[in-house]
Amino acid sequence: MKMGCLNGTTISLSCLKLPFPSYPSSFQNVPFRRTIKPLSAALQTSPATSPSTTKAEDQGARSHWKAAIDFKWIKDNKEAVAANIRNRNSDVDLELVLQLYDHFFNLQKEVERVRGERNAVANKMKGKMEQFERQRLIEEGKNLKEGLIALEEDLLKLNDKLQLEAQRIPNMTHPHVPIGGEDSSMTRKLVGSAPEFSFPVKDHLELGKELCLFDFDTAAEVSGSKFYYLKNDAVLLEMALVNWTLSEVMKRGFTPLTTPELVRSSIVEKCGFQPRGNNTQVYSIEDSDQCLIGTAEIPVGGLHMDSILAETLLPLKYVAFSHCFRTEAGAAGSATRGLYRVHQFSKVEMFIFCRPEDSEHYHEELIKIEEDMFSSLGLHFKILDMASEDLGAPAYRKFDVEAWMPGLERFGEISSASNCTDYQSRRLGIRYRPLEAPVASPKKSKSNLAPPKFVHTLNATACAVPRMIICLLENYQQEDGSILIPEPLRPFMGGRSVISRKS
Amino acid sequence: MKMGCLNGTTISLSCLKLPFPSYPSSFQNVPFRRTIKPLSAALQTSPATSPSTTKAEDQGARSHWKAAIDFKWIKDNKEAVAANIRNRNSDVDLELVLQLYDHFFNLQKEVERVRGERNAVANKMKGKMEQFERQRLIEEGALGTQLPLLCLLGKNLKEGLIALEEDLLKLNDKLQLEAQRIPNMTHPHVPIGGEDSSMTRKLVGSAPEFSFPVKDHLELGKELCLFDFDTAAEVSGSKFYYLKNDAVLLEMALVNWTLSEVMKRGFTPLTTPELVRSSIVEKCGFQPRGNNTQVYSIEDSDQCLIGTAEIPVGGLHMDSILAETLLPLKYVAFSHCFRTEAGAAGSATRGLYRVHQFSKVEMFIFCRPEDSEHYHEELIKIEEDMFSSLGLHFKILDMASEDLGAPAYRKFDVEAWMPGLERFGEISSASNCTDYQSRRLGIRYRPLEAPVASPKKSKSNLAPPKFVHTLNATACAVPRMIICLLENYQQEDGSILIPEPLRPFMGGRSVISRKS
Repeated sequence: MKMGCLNGTTISLSCLKLPFPSYPSSFQNVPFRRTIKPLSAALQTSPATSPSTTKAEDQGARSHWKAAIDFKWIKDNKEAVAANIRNRNSDVDLELVLQLYDHFFNLQKEVERVRGERNAVANKMKGKMEQFERQRLIEEGKNLKEGLIALEEDLLKLNDKLQLEAQRIPNMTHPHVPIGGEDSSMTRKLVGSAPEFSFPVKDHLELGKELCLFDFDTAAEVSGSKFYYLKNDAVLLEMALVNWTLSEVMKRGFTPLTTPELVRSSIVEKCGFQPRGNNTQVYSIEDSDQCLIGTAEIPVGGLHMDSILAETLLPLKYVAFSHCFRTEAGAAGSATRGLYRVHQFSKVEMFIFCRPEDSEHYHEELIKIEEDMFSSLGLHFKILDMASEDLGAPAYRKFDVEAWMPGLERFGEISSASNCTDYQSRRLGIRYRPLEAPVASPKKSKSNLAPPKFVHTLNATACAVPRMIICLLENYQQEDGSILIPEPLRPFMGGRSVISRKS
Repeated sequence: MKMGCLNGTTISLSCLKLPFPSYPSSFQNVPFRRTIKPLSAALQTSPATSPSTTKAEDQGARSHWKAAIDFKWIKDNKEAVAANIRNRNSDVDLELVLQLYDHFFNLQKEVERVRGERNAVANKMKGKMEQFERQRLIEEGALGTQLPLLCLLGKNLKEGLIALEEDLLKLNDKLQLEAQRIPNMTHPHVPIGGEDSSMTRKLVGSAPEFSFPVKDHLELGKELCLFDFDTAAEVSGSKFYYLKNDAVLLEMALVNWTLSEVMKRGFTPLTTPELVRSSIVEKCGFQPRGNNTQVYSIEDSDQCLIGTAEIPVGGLHMDSILAETLLPLKYVAFSHCFRTEAGAAGSATRGLYRVHQFSKVEMFIFCRPEDSEHYHEELIKIEEDMFSSLGLHFKILDMASEDLGAPAYRKFDVEAWMPGLERFGEISSASNCTDYQSRRLGIRYRPLEAPVASPKKSKSNLAPPKFVHTLNATACAVPRMIICLLENYQQEDGSILIPEPLRPFMGGRSVISRKS
């Protein structure tokens, strides 16, 4: 279909007849539909291709935030991305993403073209001409403008759709990460040895009961199951653990922080969590877009959102103390007794913003800090290189620490250190300006600054208090039911070396 | 209307015609309405008397918790209660409460009476004859109408009873809903009136003098890289903040020091859940669902975030009877607190002064009624000692009747001098809630002294349990303390002197300065 124009130029709309998947169209009320065939009509070719697409439509992707995803890179590395999706057991539809991207790319070009046409007409009108000519130009300009509005709206919707599915694509994976499920995770290191007991070993619940350290039963009435009060020496132990951990990590050059524990749900999503999914770990606030944080990683990540940092500032290293809240929906079974799985807990978290070339180095640094701290507390633990299906979408590589818990008679996770590369920074909009400006080009540009690049982010648990309490109680129990306090914590407990009945 | 019976006893139903206010009736489906006139018909006499009543109905007061309110006492002290309501500027409708109570009392008696009648009929039926004979008689309709009539009577009574009991439940719900709003009584020394009537009990210390222009905490914090409000506004919303660098150490020092100071005085340390069921919030005297509520609620849940550790600590002994020897129970609890601050606006809300989330160390006491005034004095003394030792200049106020809040019998507030704000600001509050919270949370104690042995030997010689008194007091509200410390201890070069008691808790440091 072509439109004749004054100066012989035509607008060819044949290129618009592209096979697009269907999506909701708001064209019903756009006038002059006969003049420019709305893109939407051309789009009614194929039905929704996956349940996730329909869900995307239902969720009304309007005015949702956008991740700076490198679609060109994904397209150029399609096989690697597809293999990664398979290795991580993700159900994201890569084909759909690439399709949507192509359409988006082409539609964007079309929008630019029509925009150009309209500007040309507008410029023409500036010159001298006969009244009837001017009238024709005016009408042409008007048609182009309305068509453009319709196209731009299509573009927005298409972008929403593209983003919704593309945001689900998990981060790439470090080549050394074992492929498979949790059984494939590999032990990098084993530290210390399990203590030997000459008496029957008790678990932390029993020890805590005898020493009046916790109350789960009343908390269940007041708040619900998996809540608890800490009492007496357990309170001092929590304070000692937090104080000691903060001071240890600060010694290593990390800036201390306390953070908001209520954040906007978009921040939670940008960090790679799903506040509104089924079995979500996230508590939401009624009549609000706010959620409770499950980890300080979220508000710390948000600390530099939508920023361009000077390269000289990097790396930025933070150690944050916060309370954390998790619904633990879907987590049931014997591994949930007592302090092992609770809805609320105190945690000290490490977080690093750095240059891409440095993230692997800092990942090693973080796991080393953890190893040093847990060793100095005398714990027996292993460091695991987590397998591809257990990484979680944001992590390029993840090291977990599992400590020996004699009362539970198994190893239990006490810490996790993830290198998220640019997954979070592309969503949170965190970039840095490299120092090195590009070589001066023949064409003098306004600015000699290098284009900003996305930072890499890393996070690691320095101390998850309830799990640490389990470790300390169970490993350091004495025959008489008292608990020996490890050396490093004694100054933080007023010099005391033992927790005993009513001490 | 009377029914004839075998042995000549009759059931008189004339006493059921009592004037009751109207309320929803579920009698429409009850059979045999002609036999016993439903109570509800007699109840359609007066319309709803106040907006709160209608609201009560709308809120569906079904299966709501019940406070152990002493209605008889209220009735016997009606004038004092009414005067108290006026003094506190409360809009609770006392007349309605008393009316509802009378009706409830009478309806309860009626229910007992009908229950008695039904038991009598049931017993009669037992006494008369064997099961099979009874059945045969019923089926054959033989031997006249005596037994079938008894059956019919019993059945009618049962259904009527069910209806009455349901009415009783609804009436109780309605009564509770309005009665729970009655504020606590007030200590005779409490000044009557609004905030201007609050009386200064004590003035401690003096305002520091500065030989240089005084900065407020926001400016000081900015220069020392202590806070970030702007980014927090993007991440979370206004009135949220990050603490950074030495402010983190200051918070930890304040919490650690406060806990240790209060523990020295015999308080048991606690950390508490920060999510609690909304019923617990209500039982402590707060309103999670009101307009301008201070309480954050969780979506798809009956849980709320706590605004103070007072709530989960109060809940620690809910629905219990404590041995008297255990009292007093003294707790010091550290928690984060969350408040919507809905309806709070204006200049008094800059920076750390009014925020949505903060750390607080709270003192809480459960004690015998005769001891609560003593412990109120003890709590305010602990606060005075601690704030003095930090070198603050402050006044202790006896809060006026309109500023007490429903649960408090008496409330002492501490306001400290904040040079940057150029005024006194509240840093602490100590309330004696007497039995207001314990009657709602169901916390009682068993007095040691058993009653004198009665002529009739009873199963138990135990004294009947009594409600405890509860008190709560702020030991340290971290943001307000940070304001005080920064503004009072600022030096000319912008650094902050750390008060002596906190230095051991800050690794021995004595100054907060730029990038120290």
